[in-house]
Amino acid sequence: MEKKYYKSIEEYQPIDGSPNNYKNLAKNHIGIDEPVSGSPSSRRDFLKLFGFAIASAAVVSSCEQPVRKAIPYLIKPDAITPGKASYFASTFFDGNDYSSILVKVRDGRPIKIEGNKLSSVTKGGSSARVQASVLSLYDTARYKNPAISGVEAEWEKADAEIIENLKAIKQSNGKIVIVTPTIISPSTLSVIEKFIEEYPATKHIQYDAISANAISLANQSVFGKEVIPSYQFHKAKVIVGFGADFLGTWLMPVEFTKQYSKGRKVGHNKKEMSYHAHFEAGMSLTGSNADKRIVTKNSQQKIVIANLYNEIAKQLGENTIEIPASPVDVHDVAQRLLAHKGESLVVCGSNDKESQVIVNGINYLLGNYGSTLDINSPLNLKKGNDSEMETLTKELNKGEVSGLILYGVNPAYNYQNAKGFLNGLKKADLTVSIPSLKDETAEECKYLCPDHYVLETWNDYEIKPGNYSLSQPAIRPIFNTRAGQETLLKWAGVETEYVELIKSNWKKNIYPSSGFSGSFRDFWNTSLHNGVFEKAVGGNLEINYSKSAIPSGIETESSEGLELELVESVAVGDGRQANNPWLQELPDPTTKVTWDNYASISVRLAEEMGITEGDIISIDKQLSLPVLIQPGQEHKTISVALGYGRTNAGAVAEGVGGNAYPLVQHNRQTRIYSKTGVKVEKVEGEHEFAKTQSHHSMEGRPLIRETTLSEYIEDPASGNEFHEKVKHHATTLYEKRKFEGHHWGMAVDLNSCTGCNACVVACSAENNVPVVGKEQVKLAREMHWMRIDRYYSDDIENPEVVRQPVMCQHCDNAPCENVCPVGATTNSSEGVNQMAYNRCIGTRYCNNNCPYKVRRFNFMDYTQSDAIPLNTYDPAGMTVDLKRMVLNPDVVIRSKGVIEKCSLCIQRIQEKKLDAKLENRQLEDGEIVPACAQTCPADAIVFGDLNNKDSKISKFFADERNYHLLEELHTLPSVGYLTKVRNTEAKATKKKEIKH
Amino acid sequence: MVLTRAGICKFLQHFFAKLRNFLPFSFVKENVLVSTYLSFITKLNRMRKFLLRKNKKINVVFFVYLFVTISGFLFSNYALGEDKESVISEGYSHEEITRGERFFKGLLPFDRNFESCVSCHNIKPVDTLNWNPSAMDIALKYADKDFAAFEKVILEPSGKKMSEVHKNINIESEDLKTVKIYLDEMAHKGHSKEKINVLWLIGIIFLVLVILWALAELIFVQKIKYKLVPVVFLLGATGWLLMILYQEATNLGRQEAYAPLQPIKFSHEVHAGLNQTDCFYCHHTAEYSKSAGIPSANVCINCHIIVREGTNSGKFEIDKIHYAVDNDIPIEWVRVHNLPDHVFFSHAQHVGAGKLDCKECHGPVEEMNVLRQHADLSMGWCLDCHKTRKVQFVDNDYYKTYKEFHEQIAAGKMDSVTVAQIGGTDCMKCHY
Repeated sequence: MEKKYYKSIEEYQPIDGSPNNYKNLAKNHIGIDEPVSGSPSSRRDFLKLFGFAIASAAVVSSCEQPVRKAIPYLIKPDAITPGKASYFASTFFDGNDYSSILVKVRDGRPIKIEGNKLSSVTKGGSSARVQASVLSLYDTARYKNPAISGVEAEWEKADAEIIENLKAIKQSNGKIVIVTPTIISPSTLSVIEKFIEEYPATKHIQYDAISANAISLANQSVFGKEVIPSYQFHKAKVIVGFGADFLGTWLMPVEFTKQYSKGRKVGHNKKEMSYHAHFEAGMSLTGSNADKRIVTKNSQQKIVIANLYNEIAKQLGENTIEIPASPVDVHDVAQRLLAHKGESLVVCGSNDKESQVIVNGINYLLGNYGSTLDINSPLNLKKGNDSEMETLTKELNKGEVSGLILYGVNPAYNYQNAKGFLNGLKKADLTVSIPSLKDETAEECKYLCPDHYVLETWNDYEIKPGNYSLSQPAIRPIFNTRAGQETLLKWAGVETEYVELIKSNWKKNIYPSSGFSGSFRDFWNTSLHNGVFEKAVGGNLEINYSKSAIPSGIETESSEGLELELVESVAVGDGRQANNPWLQELPDPTTKVTWDNYASISVRLAEEMGITEGDIISIDKQLSLPVLIQPGQEHKTISVALGYGRTNAGAVAEGVGGNAYPLVQHNRQTRIYSKTGVKVEKVEGEHEFAKTQSHHSMEGRPLIRETTLSEYIEDPASGNEFHEKVKHHATTLYEKRKFEGHHWGMAVDLNSCTGCNACVVACSAENNVPVVGKEQVKLAREMHWMRIDRYYSDDIENPEVVRQPVMCQHCDNAPCENVCPVGATTNSSEGVNQMAYNRCIGTRYCNNNCPYKVRRFNFMDYTQSDAIPLNTYDPAGMTVDLKRMVLNPDVVIRSKGVIEKCSLCIQRIQEKKLDAKLENRQLEDGEIVPACAQTCPADAIVFGDLNNKDSKISKFFADERNYHLLEELHTLPSVGYLTKVRNTEAKATKKKEIKH
Repeated sequence: MVLTRAGICKFLQHFFAKLRNFLPFSFVKENVLVSTYLSFITKLNRMRKFLLRKNKKINVVFFVYLFVTISGFLFSNYALGEDKESVISEGYSHEEITRGERFFKGLLPFDRNFESCVSCHNIKPVDTLNWNPSAMDIALKYADKDFAAFEKVILEPSGKKMSEVHKNINIESEDLKTVKIYLDEMAHKGHSKEKINVLWLIGIIFLVLVILWALAELIFVQKIKYKLVPVVFLLGATGWLLMILYQEATNLGRQEAYAPLQPIKFSHEVHAGLNQTDCFYCHHTAEYSKSAGIPSANVCINCHIIVREGTNSGKFEIDKIHYAVDNDIPIEWVRVHNLPDHVFFSHAQHVGAGKLDCKECHGPVEEMNVLRQHADLSMGWCLDCHKTRKVQFVDNDYYKTYKEFHEQIAAGKMDSVTVAQIGGTDCMKCHY
């Protein structure tokens, strides 16, 4: 039997042919029946609008051409050529996400972020959050001036008062505490040291909103090193995950996705791939990519881990742990792990120390240290010690802390005991905050000393030992802000620019041992140009394993009742960038919900409780959220995303979702992101989600083609038999089109794509794709040129998931083209399906005739490109001048009433072609990289010239796995897909002849 | 809404206040307009009542009256003139300003034996190039300087050209002061707004009247024996009107022959023509960037650090560059060539890769004192060239990708390749 795919629960058909009982649970209708305005329009409205249109047309046409000014530089900077972009290597790090980046700067303003290929860590990839950060730079909610007690003030005045206060505290031997997120910058740490030198009673606390403290604590007790190891997923043949969403949010998702997809790619020369088993409760991005996803309660995770340990330990003759039997079978996983000793990896996302200790034990027994994970070359992330924050809150409440400096942290929002913290904060004599974005904590402090945003400031980073990177300002500070480091230096009485301090640190600490042959100046310039400086450190494989750290038995929690799981959102992360409209409008990779967070519950639980989608439940009477029914969710677990429910982050973030941080627990030294025995009840109200899930549905045709590894090895074309048939049957009356010169094509490797959504944001940033807001998404009017379809298959309680990025297919025989009455969409001589916006009159015939549903219509003027101001619909403030600075000047903004769609980044194609012409040479393969392919951390997207037989794209198109969407329609798309290969047992039922 | 007189007044005042931001000519004060308009409506009403009372058909008289009134209303803007408020700067009397004005215009002193100021320094904006600074230019430059500096420059100029012209000037210090006051007042008041040419408006109204007359003649009056006459008039006037509309519509957004005055009287004729400066010396990004680049002031300074005085313009214009650089005030040039936002145009493509000469699009720039847009920059104009222009097919290695064309050239079937043949007429070559 063929696999049945479904996109939402109402489409689900149980395998045994029984009726779908879950249909009534979903209320995923598209609300087109309700007009947006609420009131029906009448004849009078029509007359009014008609009159207005005539009046405005008269006014507009009576205007003379405006006099446009051209204002050149007085003294042109060398690095800037008007009309040409410059790229500055830099680093994005906000305490949570790290990525080495290139900042594209046009005429002095950053407009796009690209991954930096020179970094051995992120290797040119970046995540949706990093891609979107360029818009956060232009956030209108940012603090524009320093303030004292909420009143804007001069820097001099604030500085003087703060220094006076600090000195007074120093004299009275008071205690000062600086709270920061994890700092991976050696120079920032030296700044804090300098501050402590001046005020010796200062304590520095690192606080991570989403903590991984258990890992470092476990490493402390097992190996004597309080660090987080670095991981090498590509070296692992078997990967076992316990609730660690390493492709979406856990530690270094960009690096891990690079590694993971490297290990998963198959081809003519590589007929093997890693096996990935994932134990989790909610459906995460990582879990949905696993070959085998095993649904487990979080409360039982530790038992499962310990059982896995026992299975392995037994076979290796080690001591076992006394525990109850595992609720799920781990024998198979254990056998696979043992078969690949030294080539396997077990990771756990839990912040429970004991679980992490046992995971360390498993990895140690399997001999993975030094191969797939390295404790001697640790990741410098998540250095926060959770108990320090608890102590600080207590001390604050006792009035023991006189001075509190909150540098880049937001405990009023993301600390579970925010109330207690704020109560204590009021007792301190001096409270200072140094935020770079607007947040809930800053205004609770007396002094507000705004920091530069990451794209405006100098900094250095050491993500792993010997792996340095720099960030440099890509724009002059937009507001009256000052680098936090300079602020602290000033208070410590050190008058120096921060960049000078970084330079001197590098000269002292890094340059001498760098092995660089030139002068320091050259070294600095090279490092700054590359954005990174990396030197090989280590070769140190020695580890001291303390066997006694492994517990002989573990306490087990009760797993009765409902459980709550708190996860980091793939879109907004820990909530830092929640005021970013691009991230809010980004559909969640699994649920496809935008502009919301929700309580994901299983279909069974929904049935038992009599809840339907959109009902509102209250969780422990602390948080009320709408319910989303999630296939694959553990029966009794409710998953809620963190990062929403901001109350003071700016207009975009406010009122979106609810804040789940207060539900975070603190026990056994660490913060725990799950809870047992949760009381849930249905409350009044109903909620409608803005889901893109079942929009643009493709009606169950063979769009996804997949196979298993064993079948693939046997026959590379397995699962793709239909392609040959279509090719065989294709007949046409027309002559085959010839493409002189170039014929652009794109291919997506479904086996590599994890569905992380980075490409979607990259595309929006590159192509000025408008933000339409929640209400419009509900009406299926989202504008993303690229969408990632997510299909479930098989059992609704633990379905298999496959994701498919879909953009305009650029058909050589395009159905959209011949229905356009005005010739606004045509095929170019290079095979690109072109869209001339100014010719489009908005009939939407093309949209109706496109079988892929990739065309987007501007129902409103989202960009304020019309002359008539009343047309503007701007729910996210994207037409404010400041935010418009992010627009790409090479791509026009579209007005109301025109269709738009993927152009294969035509502006990039044209730019590179022109470069080749100017340099008198042919284009090289791989020179043109569209925004989506550039940012893809999984290298799943390939672009190139199909006319060039040696190009990568031609090879992809010639691959047996290649197929096209709806190829039976003979639309001849220029976009191809490679079948997904799963490392699972071949299913006999799947090998069925496809009828034709 | 209740259509009370007060309500209408309020609405109209608001409407005109908004409208005056859009209209190219300046309105008189809103209240004048409103009262004109209201009296017009009252008259209209009275007229209608009169006609009704007489129980006559609404005849041609009504139409004629209607249009006479409307045009009267439109012309009232000009007829009533501008009600300028005089701003007296720093306690100087109106008389002093008028006296200064007379000196400037050469009406005083009576026994003048030197050229008047106005003979060189125009008061009203002019279309042609006047090398000498205009009165407003001078006024603005010396507005915040004291009289001593002003007097020194007038009577003991340092530049060669100016000392030549100013050598005969013989004016009392007291009198010169009033000139300064006059200029200060001018700087204070700012430019008087340019009035538009109302001829086209009269023309259109005339045509409309002709149409109405012809219609009335055909339907109501029927006095002319030959029906052909009004029909010819009707068709002629309608056709003419439509032609005007068509031309205006196609020219909407086009600016052929646009030649605005620039903040500095920079002459391409002097630089590119007489002095043979290469285009790329100043517009040095044209070969590799999308934008040809208005040169930054430091490029000007490269030469003008030595050349401090022009043959024609003296020191006044060149000083403006130095003033800008010294005071960090950017120069706001008026952009001559404007393409709509939805057109992507790259100079690098045309100049760098296509090896086009600047003149092919920009015309004889080296003969232009005031730069003028040479081509209409319409899409038809672009495409005409794209269809016939030959690319550097053999010389540029990039085109090696087009193997088939090369084979055909080798076989003698083709001798060159046009832009259109390599896709130069695709929409997405320019629109994205």
